[in-house]
Amino acid sequence: MTARDAFLTSEFRASDTHLNWLEDEAISILREVFGAFERPAILCSCGKDSLVVLHLAMKAAAPGKLPVPIVHIDTGHNFPEVISFREALVARHGLQLIVGHLDDSIRRGTIRLAHPLESRNRHQTVTLLETIEANRFDAVVGGARRDEEKARAKERVFSHRDSFGQWQPRAQRPELWNLYNTQLAPNENFRVFPISNWTELDVWNYIARENIELPSIYYTHRREVIERSGLLVPVTDITPPREGETVVTRDVRFRTVGDISCTCPVASTAANAHDVVIETIAATNSERGATRMDDRANDSAMERRKKEGYF
Amino acid sequence: MTISSRPLRFITCGSVDDGKSTLIGRLLYDSKALMIDQLDSLARHTNSARGARSFTGELDLSLITDGLEAEREQGITIDVAYRYFTTPKRKFIIADAPGHEQYTRNMVTGASKSDVAVILIDVTKVDFTQNEIILLPQTKRHAAIAGLLGIRHLIVAVNKMDAIAFDETKFNRVVDAFTQIAASLALPPFAAIPISALRGDGVVAHSENTSWFNGASLLASLEAIELHDSGTGQEQPHSLVAVQYVTRDAADDHRRWITGDVADAAIAVGDAIRVFPSGAQAVVAELSTPRGSVATAKIGEAVAIALDRQVDVARGDWIVGSKLETAIAASQQASAVIAWLDTTPLVVGRRLLARHGTRWLPARVSRVERRLNLQTAQWNLPSAGSESATVSCNEIVEATIEFASNIPLADYSASQTRGAIVLVDPGTHATAAAGMIRVEK
Repeated sequence: MTARDAFLTSEFRASDTHLNWLEDEAISILREVFGAFERPAILCSCGKDSLVVLHLAMKAAAPGKLPVPIVHIDTGHNFPEVISFREALVARHGLQLIVGHLDDSIRRGTIRLAHPLESRNRHQTVTLLETIEANRFDAVVGGARRDEEKARAKERVFSHRDSFGQWQPRAQRPELWNLYNTQLAPNENFRVFPISNWTELDVWNYIARENIELPSIYYTHRREVIERSGLLVPVTDITPPREGETVVTRDVRFRTVGDISCTCPVASTAANAHDVVIETIAATNSERGATRMDDRANDSAMERRKKEGYF
Repeated sequence: MTISSRPLRFITCGSVDDGKSTLIGRLLYDSKALMIDQLDSLARHTNSARGARSFTGELDLSLITDGLEAEREQGITIDVAYRYFTTPKRKFIIADAPGHEQYTRNMVTGASKSDVAVILIDVTKVDFTQNEIILLPQTKRHAAIAGLLGIRHLIVAVNKMDAIAFDETKFNRVVDAFTQIAASLALPPFAAIPISALRGDGVVAHSENTSWFNGASLLASLEAIELHDSGTGQEQPHSLVAVQYVTRDAADDHRRWITGDVADAAIAVGDAIRVFPSGAQAVVAELSTPRGSVATAKIGEAVAIALDRQVDVARGDWIVGSKLETAIAASQQASAVIAWLDTTPLVVGRRLLARHGTRWLPARVSRVERRLNLQTAQWNLPSAGSESATVSCNEIVEATIEFASNIPLADYSASQTRGAIVLVDPGTHATAAAGMIRVEK
């Protein structure tokens, strides 16, 4: 039996009823954003979760045009496959793209790196907040999911942020029925998470069902990596091998796409979304645990970043 | 076998030390929703933060649900957290509401989106020496809130059965006591299940220790629940959509599409509709769901509607089936059960913002009629002269609300879409209250 056959007969295959329910909920949330806010935007890193949100947003607007711009916070440490994917996506759908460059923040002096090759992931928050302010966005849609990380398990669908973009876990607004409290004071904004209730498996099942195109690095490819403390670290200009480390070539794919300096692939031969579904069912490590150096640092790393205004 | 039904949302109701966190941890652990790295983290924290509550040689499953740094340090949970697990039969979404301070606030929030309430009773806290068993006030409170929020499926999980040697008689006595509470609150029928969250008995599989029990395990019971996403069937069904967003067709600039969620009953091409409040009439010409063009859109679907003629429609309006026209009693005043959630107490007569459907409008609570005693789950009439009394955070009252204009209200039990409101403080924008409209039938 091929992996594809196994998927099609798998008892874990999500039914249409199940995915339709999640799809309806997400589209309803996106229509709230389109209807209730003056200047909304969709954050799009070209990661799989944000591409699912973008797909849902286009459905929510159809048969009208997507009424909001997409925003990419560009750390400058990108996988080239992701940037070329982004350009093709924007051209294909006639999207309005706004890019916030981390390098601009560094030039302005609002970000100071401790050393040139430092991970830029946590600095994204500064550029994100600057981009929100410069464009006066009042609602920014993201692809975060509650199953990703424990600080996110307590996140609202409409997450209120003060003028410093801070998340205040102890002072969150209760969220009742689908009667979202969308009231804002000047300079405040919302972060909105339409796929809060989706799991990694739901996302992959949906990508497979809807044929959503992803950057090629999500599927198996040959890559030079270093085996470092249980992670496969990609060899790049930003993450060169350390002394004494051996570079090996492996069949890998990425489970998340972030800043080069902190995103690691996993060994995989999955060539399409169906193959990934099967691997996801069999996976024994969580998505962030397997691939993100930044979250490994500390059990509360995400909570601390979110309080500072991170997604 | 495929996952054939929509995800089931349930809330777990329990107080500190009832074993609620252990129960959720057990469901996630036994359904293999946890990954190796998450178990590693669990093992690190077991025997550290809360040594007294952990068990030598075993993982402390209650720590799975401890989210935030502050919570782990203090050994408490602060806010509603959402958990996910999937079995071959179904996807589950758990609203995990902490059981201590601000309990009403958290439980009302979690319950508003739940299909099922799992009420946890700690059997070691029940006094069996008396002839008549008296359950703890918190159990009455959980039952009362589940009832007010209109949760249609109740499961009573009698926990820590291992501590009373899986005694059938004691289990039955607890069930009898809950039956009386359920009757006094007019709750829907419930299932009762003996479990030990700590040892795993009765949670995922039937336990040999309770061989006298004929019912299904907790997980099997949850998997088997059938949801009927329709109205109560008491009223004539009629389509209803709160308008979220109106867009122009990219291919035809003159064609407008009205979007929103289908509530109460299906909507079909050819249906005669009216716009509320304008009264404009039209016929549904075309319908589109996220799956494509359809002849009928079902309850809960996110729909886009094209009408057969140009009518003025905007966010905040309602699209209603013509049959509903006579059924809608638009009103500026209503009686409602209000759960006050803001730390600043209610000031009777103060102008607030109300959200009803997709519309915001000014409103005020003009009179507090009676209060729910959360210890006894009984309604108390206010004593003379107390009408102006305030309502504090976590209190539940029945009150009269006035709205700035006519809105199509309905009894909450007949239509959650038309019967639910949220009150917001116009100054701070805090979510101040959840309201459930009561209409005399």
